[in-house]
Amino acid sequence: MIALYVVAAIAVFAAARAILERNTGRRFPYANVLNFAVAGSLVLLLDHPITLIAAAAYFVGSTLEANAIASTYAGGMKR
Amino acid sequence: MLGEILHILAAAIISWILFVTVDIFFGLPEAGGVSGATAIAQDIEAGGGDLSGGTMMGNIVCSPDASAGTLLAACGVYVAGIPGGLAAALMVYIGNRICHDPGYAGTTGAVLATFVVYGFTQVGFAASDFIAGMVIAILTIQGLSHTHASRLLGRLWRIRE
Repeated sequence: MIALYVVAAIAVFAAARAILERNTGRRFPYANVLNFAVAGSLVLLLDHPITLIAAAAYFVGSTLEANAIASTYAGGMKR
Repeated sequence: MLGEILHILAAAIISWILFVTVDIFFGLPEAGGVSGATAIAQDIEAGGGDLSGGTMMGNIVCSPDASAGTLLAACGVYVAGIPGGLAAALMVYIGNRICHDPGYAGTTGAVLATFVVYGFTQVGFAASDFIAGMVIAILTIQGLSHTHASRLLGRLWRIRE
């Protein structure tokens, strides 16, 4: 139970840091911590094998989104 | 209650050592896997951090690395034991391919973490301790001070070099 509170508190902290950070590039690591915390809290809240697939899908999806946004921020794909 | 807090802190230290070792072994601080990772590294360096450490942090953001592997493996062991951890490793592998990552840091980290987490569940730890522990471990790298975290990672990378 403490594990869930720890993870939830870190999620709120990371979200606040991501909002308060002014530099776009440095926002990504905070959002990354938030993604870790949300994926972890999903599994801690719903102890079921299918939750693992949901958490992994959420995590991979949010990482791909961060990847895409960061690469757009970097100037997009060089063709 | 105190015992669980101590277990979570111990799990955080174990997870931290595991994922930093695997990521540095696979050379994540060497180069940005995608242009976004390089851009994050440059912004961290502009803020007073280290470019190599920042590159590793950018790579962690842009593709599931050993830290993501450790988290999902702990989640897998929590819901379904060793088969769950190995299923998580497969999903990290698919995630790496989706995210245009040619490396195997995430998959290796997930497989290693599966056995590490399972081993610790045999000596009194709960897999949930490792879920919270890994979130604390990633917080220390990505969420507290980018300047100090990137300098520490850069120093570890230069030792490996």
